[in-house]
Amino acid sequence: MSIAPARDPVVPAEAAQPPLLVVDDIVMRFETPEGSVTAVEHVSFDVKQGEFLAVIGPSGCGKSTLFNIIGGLLDGYQGRVAVGGKRIIGPHRSIGMVFQEESTFPWRTVIDNVAFPLEVAGMTKAERIERARHFVRLVGLDGFERRYPAELSGGMRQRVSMARTLASEPKIMLMDEPFGALDEQTRLLLGDKVIQIQQELNQTTLLITHNITEAVQLADRVLVMTYRPGRVKRFVAIDLPRPRNSEIVGSDTFGHYVAQIWSDLREEASRGMIADESRSRGRGRAE
Amino acid sequence: MSGLSKSLTRSALRPVLIGVGSLILFFIFLEFAVRFGLINQFAVAPPSDIVKAFPRLFAEEHVGDRFLDTAFEAVIASVFVALFGISAGVLLYKVRILRLATETWVAAFAAAPTVLLYPLFLVIFGRNATTIIMMGFVAGLAPVTLKTLEGLSTTRRVLVNVGRSFNLTEWQLFWKILFPSALPTIFVGVRLGLVFALINIVGVEFLINFGGLGALINELSERFDLAGTYAAICFVILVSVMVFMTTERAERWLTSAG
Amino acid sequence: MADVGRLKNPSLIGPLLNPVMRLRIVIIVAVVALWEIVAVSGWLFRDVVPSWQRIIASLAATLSQGDFYFHLWATVYEIAVGLAVGGTCGLAVGILLGGNRLLSQSFESFLYYLGPTPKIIFFPVMIMWFGIGPGSKMAMGAISCFFPIALSVAAGMREIDRVLIRVGRSFRLSTGQMVTKIYLPAMRAPILNGVRLGLGVALIGTLLAETKLSNRGVGFLIIQSYNTFDMPLMYSLLIVLFALAIGLNSIIGWFAESDRMRR
Repeated sequence: MSIAPARDPVVPAEAAQPPLLVVDDIVMRFETPEGSVTAVEHVSFDVKQGEFLAVIGPSGCGKSTLFNIIGGLLDGYQGRVAVGGKRIIGPHRSIGMVFQEESTFPWRTVIDNVAFPLEVAGMTKAERIERARHFVRLVGLDGFERRYPAELSGGMRQRVSMARTLASEPKIMLMDEPFGALDEQTRLLLGDKVIQIQQELNQTTLLITHNITEAVQLADRVLVMTYRPGRVKRFVAIDLPRPRNSEIVGSDTFGHYVAQIWSDLREEASRGMIADESRSRGRGRAE
Repeated sequence: MSGLSKSLTRSALRPVLIGVGSLILFFIFLEFAVRFGLINQFAVAPPSDIVKAFPRLFAEEHVGDRFLDTAFEAVIASVFVALFGISAGVLLYKVRILRLATETWVAAFAAAPTVLLYPLFLVIFGRNATTIIMMGFVAGLAPVTLKTLEGLSTTRRVLVNVGRSFNLTEWQLFWKILFPSALPTIFVGVRLGLVFALINIVGVEFLINFGGLGALINELSERFDLAGTYAAICFVILVSVMVFMTTERAERWLTSAG
Repeated sequence: MADVGRLKNPSLIGPLLNPVMRLRIVIIVAVVALWEIVAVSGWLFRDVVPSWQRIIASLAATLSQGDFYFHLWATVYEIAVGLAVGGTCGLAVGILLGGNRLLSQSFESFLYYLGPTPKIIFFPVMIMWFGIGPGSKMAMGAISCFFPIALSVAAGMREIDRVLIRVGRSFRLSTGQMVTKIYLPAMRAPILNGVRLGLGVALIGTLLAETKLSNRGVGFLIIQSYNTFDMPLMYSLLIVLFALAIGLNSIIGWFAESDRMRR
């Protein structure tokens, strides 16, 4: 059984290598008109160099809050986020974010979108185009360099966003439901692309998702969160061979992991559904 | 909206033919109605006389020079409108409290009948081109300000977050993300501003009988030159439709590229 | 939801303590003070900027004279007739264009491109047709408001939820019933918005015509104040006019907005 208790037991053999990203005891509260709401409570985990960690939880578990805290876009939390042993505050060069929503710049071509982080870093035009071309090729969009986002499909646009983030060469790539708006088949195929890129660059990746298949398909380890307040419920190590591709979705072991995570998640998701229903009932009465 | 852009396809050709055809039929009817006395010939000039009056407009009334006068005033007014309107929009966006305090005022100003200020402007600036340019400026300012503000504040949050995640400075955030994202909307505002300015400019030229095309209509009507008046009105309509269509093309090109 | 938001709006709780209100007061006071300095010192715009005292005195005198109300009534009457004629035509043409694809494709672009042309240039023609009396001013109002109302109604008609139209057809309503029971109620917001825009331009068209050639109306009073160089009178007339125009515009806008919110 690979189900671990709430704190990840550090395997002695790997203890020699310090984790790249440490998220330590994060607590985040929001003040709302109805009072204080705790979105994230005492969340701690680490990600090792080259590891792919997926954070999964029901909607309303504070996943996106966690994403914004680690990315440095959200302030006012307790706890600590550290990269390579150093605490980081605010947006940091070592963390690259891929957003859930459509986030390509519609006024820039594909190549100029990807070159964006290099441009603001002050790289010369020739050099940054050359570099950007490499990342465009990496996500499989060669031939589309001169196109505008409006001319691409949703899946292609998300790949542009990913290439743009990768071009800034972050130590950690942080993704928030990057394929949430896409259909299931595109999502599986893009998953293959992500695995391939992650392997090729040995890219440390933290994926936030509510999709169990996606988490098991991509991750080395899955962190299951509870419904509000979001806490760490369990870590599940995904012991599937690499290199992987989407064909493993049909395998027995895959199904076993999915079932295992779903049994954890089901409880949380139904708690969330009941809470949502009673809230909308209350709102209906107030009006 | 405009059937003209789609006129290339065969199925869209029919409505164009119907539209233009009805217009021609209407003119033919008008021609005969006036000739046979169904319509008072001192109220409506027969279309053939209007057409014949056009060369006269160019040869005797120097409509070309008149057009340049109006165009000059419109260009100056638009440049000022764009300059001040965009700056005011950026200022209101940056200084939140100023926006909260004055946005409704700007909106009210945009809806106010500013062209009725022309007697006041006449007193202040005199009966000259400055008054006309200032009237154009006043008409175009508010829409450009409001559209600039709208464009900047409707920049999608995630695009700003992308910028912040790449650690952009305030300056970079504005020039690399907010401004380009707002540009299509700003252009809509500038185009509105130009159209409003042009309407006011021609109108005030007519009212104070000074300057370009508007004044020409006034002079011809005071001389009871019926066909000439109609021809000049047609010319002004032609010019404003052309300006409207060209800027619309530019806007569509800009929004599709951006 | 909207009511809750409004109750929490700080501007109603402490109007004077709220920083936005304070800034507004500061701006108004600064403008008034600057005006007064310019007026009293006479450094700039001499004789063009009278002191507030004289403007308010003139405003009070104007508003207490029966003569002003004669002119105001003349203008209101012209605008009302213009709006009624232009609006009815606009509504009819808008419904035709909005309801028929071929008509819309054939003729709507004419309206669309004629809409943003300066209407005042038609005034000489209107004088030839309707004389120099109130008729030509009413015609200016009607021409001005016809375009925005027709375009707004046509666009509004096309935006009606197709399901509502299918519901009407499923009850086998006649064309007349479709218009009165489905189309018009479903288009209240665009119609109101068209009337708001139309009223604005009708007011401009009528008043500009009055300033050009007439012997009654607020426009006539304004141009007379220009001819007699009575600056306080001109300012007080413009203040009344702008207050009326902005007030009417926001009342109709408020109606349209509250109508939209209810759905």
